[in-house]
Parts: sequence; structure tokens; C-alpha cells
Amino acid sequence: MSCELNKKERSGVINPIFTCQPAGAQYASIGIEDCIGIVHGGQGCVMFVRLLFAQHFKDNFLLASSSLHEDAAVLGGVHRVEKAVDVLLMRYPDVKVVPIISTCSTEIIGDDIDGVVRKLNNGLLKEKYADREIHLIPIHTPSFKGSMIEGYDVAVRDFVKAFAKKEEPNGKINLITGWVNPGDVTALKHLLSEMDVDATVLFEIESFVSPLMPDGEAVSHGSTTIEDMKSTANAIGTIALNRYEGGQAANYLEKEFEVPAVIGPTPIGIRNTDAFLANIKKMTGKSIPQSLVRERGIAIDTMTNLIHMFFADKKVAIYGNPDLVIGLAEFCLDLEMKPVLLLLGDDNKKYSKDPRIIELQEKVEYDMEIVQNADLWDLESRIKNKEIDLDLIMGHSKGRFTSIDNDIPMLRVGFPVYDRAGYYRHPILGYAGAIWLVEEMANVLFTDMEYKKNKEWILNVW
Amino acid sequence: MEDMMKDQVDQLVDYIMKWCLWQFNSRAWDRKDQNEGILTKTMQILCEEPTEHDTPADRCYWVEAVLLARDFKSTYPWISTMGNNEIKLLMNGLKERIDYLTISGSLNKELTNPTY
Amino acid sequence: MPYHEFKCSECIPERKKHAVVKGEGEDLTSCLPLGYLNTIPGTISERGCAFCGAKHVIGTPMKDVIHLCHGPVGCTYDTWQTKRYISDNDNFQFKYTFATDMKEKDIVFGAEKLLKKNIIDAFKTFPEIKRMSVYQTCASALIGDDIDAIAKEVMGEMPDVDIFVCNSPGFAGPSQSGGHHLINIAWVNQKVGTFEPKITSDYVMNYVGEYNIQGDQEVMVDYFKRMGIQVLSTFTGNGSYDELRGMHKAQLNVLECARSAEYICNELRVRYGTPRMDIDGFGFKPLSESLLKVGLFFGLEKEAQAIIDEEIARWKPEFDWYARRLKGVKVCLWPGGSKLWHWAHVIHDEMGVDVVSLYTKFGHQGDMEKGIARCADGALAIDDPNELEGIEAMKELKPDIILTGVRPGEVAKKMRVQYLNAHAYHNGPYKGFEGWVRFARDIYNAVYSPIHQLSGLDISKDEIDTDNRFMTRQMISDVKIDKEEAAISDEREYTGDYDCVTKLRGKKYPKLEKGDISVG
Repeated sequence: MSCELNKKERSGVINPIFTCQPAGAQYASIGIEDCIGIVHGGQGCVMFVRLLFAQHFKDNFLLASSSLHEDAAVLGGVHRVEKAVDVLLMRYPDVKVVPIISTCSTEIIGDDIDGVVRKLNNGLLKEKYADREIHLIPIHTPSFKGSMIEGYDVAVRDFVKAFAKKEEPNGKINLITGWVNPGDVTALKHLLSEMDVDATVLFEIESFVSPLMPDGEAVSHGSTTIEDMKSTANAIGTIALNRYEGGQAANYLEKEFEVPAVIGPTPIGIRNTDAFLANIKKMTGKSIPQSLVRERGIAIDTMTNLIHMFFADKKVAIYGNPDLVIGLAEFCLDLEMKPVLLLLGDDNKKYSKDPRIIELQEKVEYDMEIVQNADLWDLESRIKNKEIDLDLIMGHSKGRFTSIDNDIPMLRVGFPVYDRAGYYRHPILGYAGAIWLVEEMANVLFTDMEYKKNKEWILNVW
Repeated sequence: MEDMMKDQVDQLVDYIMKWCLWQFNSRAWDRKDQNEGILTKTMQILCEEPTEHDTPADRCYWVEAVLLARDFKSTYPWISTMGNNEIKLLMNGLKERIDYLTISGSLNKELTNPTY
Repeated sequence: MPYHEFKCSECIPERKKHAVVKGEGEDLTSCLPLGYLNTIPGTISERGCAFCGAKHVIGTPMKDVIHLCHGPVGCTYDTWQTKRYISDNDNFQFKYTFATDMKEKDIVFGAEKLLKKNIIDAFKTFPEIKRMSVYQTCASALIGDDIDAIAKEVMGEMPDVDIFVCNSPGFAGPSQSGGHHLINIAWVNQKVGTFEPKITSDYVMNYVGEYNIQGDQEVMVDYFKRMGIQVLSTFTGNGSYDELRGMHKAQLNVLECARSAEYICNELRVRYGTPRMDIDGFGFKPLSESLLKVGLFFGLEKEAQAIIDEEIARWKPEFDWYARRLKGVKVCLWPGGSKLWHWAHVIHDEMGVDVVSLYTKFGHQGDMEKGIARCADGALAIDDPNELEGIEAMKELKPDIILTGVRPGEVAKKMRVQYLNAHAYHNGPYKGFEGWVRFARDIYNAVYSPIHQLSGLDISKDEIDTDNRFMTRQMISDVKIDKEEAAISDEREYTGDYDCVTKLRGKKYPKLEKGDISVG
């Protein structure tokens, strides 16, 4: 009985868990106010990522393309970036931050996006836009390296690098959330506010949830400012919740500006949220208030209602962003469940040295498999070959047919979720997130019991 | 007389433009063949003259022509009052106009592209 | 030339000739925007790439095929589960997607070996599937992998499989349309004529440029089969790989979306003498005439007429119920390509809505010719619109509804303009007689939404109606109709099923049960 860490043996990918790096950089970009990213590559690299965001958030987010066509693919396309920057700036007078995000094609042809940024800084911006504050930030995200996870990590680091500036200490902490939903940011800010801690949040994405207003003028966009990013150098410390989505930025701030970094744990579940609060307490000297003791108590009360009767020994497969998957697995263990299969969708070499994974390997008493560089066929084939017998799947919508066709209930969690309504507004982090996760898990299991007529009568009273 | 014919041609042009697609194949030579094939057969049908429709291509033109002649007659009752000479004159005028709109006067820069 | 200059685009003079207003007396010789030119970088255009035009639009609707992209994983992920091209084999083609997952070392050293291993592994994983399409991407094109050679090598080693190669990298052309072209030509060059299909009728056609969005193809093919026509293949919605290899055996190519598939019809005409017949599957009149045309071609006019009569008797009263209430509704018709002309006139003529603007993301000037020829005077026609232009047009035109894609639909939503999915439909299919009712119903539901009406109320300053506890769609829509006239009509609301497609599967067509008549 043990936990094995394996790599997918099959070549290639059947039903990928992640998309490629530029998508991650684009997700980071939309979190910043007055920012429109330019993706230097084919038009599909932007069009489909915008569609993905629209599928998940049911809203529109602005990103531009350098529209690489045949001639530029052959002869080089930096002139397309120059033109794109000018056209964008002319037509969007409020834009201040323009990340130039590379792709596989433009990395292969060797377009020098750092060089073009220097050229534009010394030329176009001085000549034509001297009265405007504009920051062009090259972000290298070749699609053939890493995944959307690394793309996000790299982009957060590059934004911080571009703006962080040593000034007077600001008395705040930096909170780098990783790839989360607006509902998570609300939950995290609630915890900070209860602790009376002031934080710079990267990124402020609560405003992704935007209204339909009578005047028809509202738009969805992140609201992290240049000032926010500048002041990250002057914080008491940085807490990066996710090792693989923001960890590099935290390390950079520590190395460059001696802002102490705490990386993880992702506050999924009670234990990890406790640790998160402990880290804040340690970093700020603030104490954990009674209000959070009570809130934690409500979460534990909720769980106590459910776990022994419905969750114990339930076998779970989890796929998606690595920090999310690990955090959910840890929480499931606390809930008396048995995560039997964890799928990490890229080949990041750091997974095998991740202390959380090592801990699972050392301590889990039943058979668990963690697959690196996994795809969704790794899940489906194990189900079809009867290598695993699952009670629940947790993951994003791209795996919906694995659940549907194999009659296994699935809780949608992570990114993207487009086959359930409004999941982006609910947290999975903090105590509030723990409550939501547990109750949704229960409701998914209940619906499945009724649908399959599997002891559905038990729900008459519990 | 000329004005009246122009007006009649315009009505027929309007019908074709709204309800047909055959006049818009993507290359000029193709449009020329389509216009010629279909409008000639339409004229023959309206004049109750025999039409060739043995080859697959002719059969396709003929199909479009049958429908068009029917629609012309039901939409524009004045056609049925015309003699064959008048119809021929009208249809020549129509073809000239359609050729102009879709070929010689067309602003479509892809019409002369040598390949599809 | 009646060019329309957007204020937001005054600073990019290249855009000046991409929008026109069809004024009174204007015709195609005086009123046509430029089209299918390279996109201006940074405009936030809505266009996609040639890879998606080939793989996503035309390739993947083929149902019994492993669709493998040779490149990094993103191209595959991004074009997976974002459209509604269903199939009657449990949707294999959109449930499973394959990527070679090219990494840095593959870029440096080449990825042909990786590709070969992938092809073999994929066939091993799905042993019941013997057909594959391999799609080039920007990355595999730029490193120069010879996909054709690898495919030939595998076919040599595995005689029971067949592989199609589509070399259409994302950068191959100004938009997805470049990919439509490339995959059309690739299919006719590589595959047509390599398989002899079973012929079961004296009347044999291909149905081309139809992608079975929400079941469109199945609805239309049902009509053809009822007439006694064998639909040898569909290019490509719900289409089968081997059937499509046998396209050369058809007597007629019936073409729906000329934008994406005229190329293969033109090639089949040149190479095999098969004529091309363009049809419209939308609208009672165009659809009726389309069925009649196909019927006439095969000498089956009576059979066609019988279907038309039956379908119209069944569905016209339901369509009329909506049409009565849609009169004067202002529509922006903003699709990708062909629906611009499929719908431009007929939604006005039959539903009574006014098309105030049309645009095309990836169409060519030929598509605009068709659209402008068909639309009413005063309409604003835009080629390759960008985000700001769309917003400016909506502010100026104040449409009641726009027919467009998911993401631009979100832009419209925020501006309090209702949106209907023109690409994948809300509750389709929209083709066929019943589909036409569903389309009208969906427009009606959007336009007369009580919640939409509430969205305009600013509770901080407007007077709040405290008397009415609810509104129904009909309470809103029927204000403007003649109620007496409506009451004596036989009109009724839609009575069809939520799913009107699945029941067509497995249906028997006695006229087509002749067995193989191609031999002897």
C-alpha cells in the first residue's frame, strides 16, 4: 500500500488537462487595470483564449493580437508588434500596461520582443506618446515549454519585476493568489480583513464579476494597479498561496528586495487555511480573532454533518492545476475520503521534489497514484480498464464526458468551468471555500444517488 | 419604352440578387458561364422553347432556370403578357445587367484570381 | 463609394475601405468593402487562425476519425469543446482530441519521430478507429517536419489504417478562411477517389459545406433521404472519412456554406464533372426552393414537393405566431461568413425583422457581395470588424438583438443588446422547416425577455413600477400586434421537442433499401 509518483508512458496527449503558456500570461494580464496584452503570434492564440475566458466567466476580456500572417512567419514579425502597440495605444487612450506575450511561432522564428520593446521605448513612446504613462513588458511564453501554469507564473514574475520599486515600507503584505476565481479573492480578503491585515493582492480580480448596468457601460476587468505592483517591493512579506502560480514572483521579491517569502500552503480546507492564518500571524504579528474561530467552527460543524455518513472511504480522482489538486487531495484526506488518483497536467520537473507530494508518498496508507504530465485519458483509461473504482471526480469542465460517459459524479472545480452556472463567484479557499466545497461535494453525491437510485431513500432523514 | 424595360430588368435583377446564389461563384469566368447557362435557359423556358439538359452541368443550369422562370412568372405577372420577342429582349437586357453587376462592374478583387 | 468611417478607427486609415452603407440606389458596383486582407495588428479583431479554420471548422466534424494536432498542446486544447458539431456516433470527434505535445527538445531536434510514435499509440489506444487526420500547427510548420512522409510511412506499416494530412498552420492566411481553402484542396488531392462507396440509389449526391451544428445536417439529410436520394457523404458535419473518400461517385454536389467549402465543389466539378448546386437551408421559401432544385435535378420534384407541403403544413402556423410578433425588430447580423448571406434577406422577408447591419469576420468580398445584394437599403456592412467598431455600431444603430458568436455576444450583453448565437445556435438546429421555427422562437425569447426589460431600469432615479408583479413575454410582445387578427388565425407557439434530432437516427427509408447497386 503506497503512493506512487508516475509519469504518463504513452506518447502525446489525449484530452489535455492544460492549454499552453500564453494562456497563463493572458490570464495574469486581465487582472491588471488599464492593461491590454498583445499576444505575438497567430490570431487563434488570442481568439480561443478569449473564448475560454468568456466560457468560464460569461464575460468579455480584452486582449490583442499581432496577427502573425505568412509573410511575418517567414521573414520575422517584430514590425507587427510595433504596429500593434501603436494601433492599440491610439485607440485605447487609458491603456498603460501592455505585456507583449510571445508564443511558439514567434519564439521559433526568433522574434526579439525585448529588442522591440527597447526600440519602442526609445522611439515611438517618446515621439508619439510622451505625455502618457506606458509600460511595455516582454513576456516569454513559448507554448512548447511548460503549460498555462508556468505561463501564469512567469507573467506574474515579469509584472512584478517590471514594476516593483524600493520605497518606504508600506506596512502591507503581498498576497499572490495564484490562478483563482473572483470568489476566492473575496474569501481571502475577508480573512485578511478579520485579521486586520492590509494586503496588496495580485491580482484583484473580484471585478471580473461585473454587472449589466442600465447605462450599458460596465465591463469586466481586473483592478490591480501599477501602484499596487510597485509597492510589492515595500511589503512586510509575501505570501504566495500557490507554489507553481506566483512562487517565482515571491522568490524574486525576496531575492531582490529582501521581502520575505512564504510559499503555500494553498488554503484549501481547514488545516491549510489554519496554516495560512498562522503564516499571516507570524508575518504581521496580528492575532487570529474570535470571529475566525467562530467561522472555522461553522465550517467544521458543516463537515461534521456530512463526513462520517457520506464521505468516509469515498474514492476520488482529482485533476487540474497542481496546487489545486494537491490542496484538494489533502482536504479530502481530512474528510476521511481516499483520493486514489491525482493528475498533474504537465511535465514540471519540480513535482517530484514537492514536499507535499513527498509527504503523500511517505504517509498515505492506501494505494494512491500521482501521474505527472498526465492527460484526461489517464483518468478515463483507468476507469475503463477497471484499475480504479471511483465515487467522485473533481476537476474542470474539459473532463465532463469522462464523468458523463462513465456515470461517475463530478464536482466542477478549477479552470475552466463552463458546464455549471456561476462557479467563478464561489470560493474554494479559506473556511468559506471549505464549506462550499464540502456542501457541493455532498450535493453532487446526493444527486447521483437519486439519479442512480442508489440508496436514495437514505436522504429522507440524516 | 426603354424606361419601362429598364424598370422591368431592375425588378428581375432584384429578384435574382435576393433569392439566388448562382450568380456569385467566385471567379469571373465561372460567373460568365453561370449567367450564360442559367439565363439562357430561363429565357428558353419563358419562351416555351426546348432546353438542353442532358449533361450534368446543363441539368444544373436547367434546374436553376426552371425555378427562376416559375418565380418570375408568379412574382411578376406582366411577364406572362409578353410575346417571345419581348421576353428575349428583356432577358438579354437582364443578362447584360447581371453580367455587369457581377462581372464587368464588380468591385470584387478576387474575380480574376487564376486559381480557386 | 459610400464608405462608412468609424470614429474609433479614424486613426487607422487602412480601415476606411472596410465598411460601407448600402444607400438607396447603391449596387455592387458602387458599394462593396474590401475583404480578406491581412488583419491590422492590435485592432482587437475577432478573427481566428488558419489552423482553426482547417481543423476546428472543417476537419473535426468528421466523426469516425482520430484528430491529431502536431504541435504544442494549446492548439488542441483551445479548439476542443468550443463548438457544437454533433454526430450520430456519440460524438467521438469532439469527446476525444489528440496532440503530439511538442516540447522544446522537439523544436530543436525535430519531432517526426514523436509524431510517428503518437500516430501508432493513438491507433493502439482506440483500436476500433482506423482513420486519422493529422493537423500541422505553426510550430510543426516552422520546424519543417514532413508530416506527409510520416503518414505514408505509418500507412505502409499498418495497412488497415488511413491517414489524412492537413498542412494549414495558424499563420497561413489572414483568417480561418485560409485554412478552409487548404483543407478543401488537401482532401480532394489526397483522399477523393481512393475509396469506392456502396451505391444504394439511382440518385446520389454529396452534401457539402454543412457541419451538423446542433443537428442541421441530420435534419437536411432526412429530407434528401425521404426523397429517395442517397447522401453519399457530408463534407464534413456528421461525415464519415471513407464516405468522403468516395465523393467522386456522386452525381451532384449540393453546397450549403460556399465560404468554407466551395473549393472542393469547384475541384470536383473540374476533375470529375460533378456539378455544384448552391442552396439555402434556412427559411421556408429558400429551403423549399432548394429542395425543389435538388428534386428537379434527379427527377424527384413530386417527392420534394410532398415533403415541402407536409413540413410547411406542420410548421408554418408555429412560425407565423413568432413572425407576427417579430415585425420591425432591429437586428445586427454579425456572423462569421456564410450566414451573412443565408440570413440577410430571408429573416426580413419571412420574420419581418430589419437587418440594420451585417458583418463578416473572415468572409471574402464574394460573401459581402451576396450579403449586400440581399440586405435592405441602409444596412451597414463591415468587413473584419474590431471590438471598438462593433461597440460604436451598436451605440449608433441600437439593435434589439445581434446574431453573433459567444464572446462578442458578451460585449453586446453588457450594452443591453440581446444576443443569439449565430455560429452554434441557442436551441438549434435552425436548418430545416422546424429549425426555422426554433430560430424565430429563440429571437422572440431574447427580444421580449422580461428580465431584459428590467435591465434598463435605474432604480436610483427612475420611477419603480410597484403595481405589476410580473410580466410575460407575450405581455410585452403583444402590445404591438393586432390581437383580433391574431385570435382568428391558426397560429400557435412552438410545440416541438427540446431535442428534435436524436429521433431521426435509425429511421428507415424504404426508397433507399436497394442494397449495393454499384456493381453489375
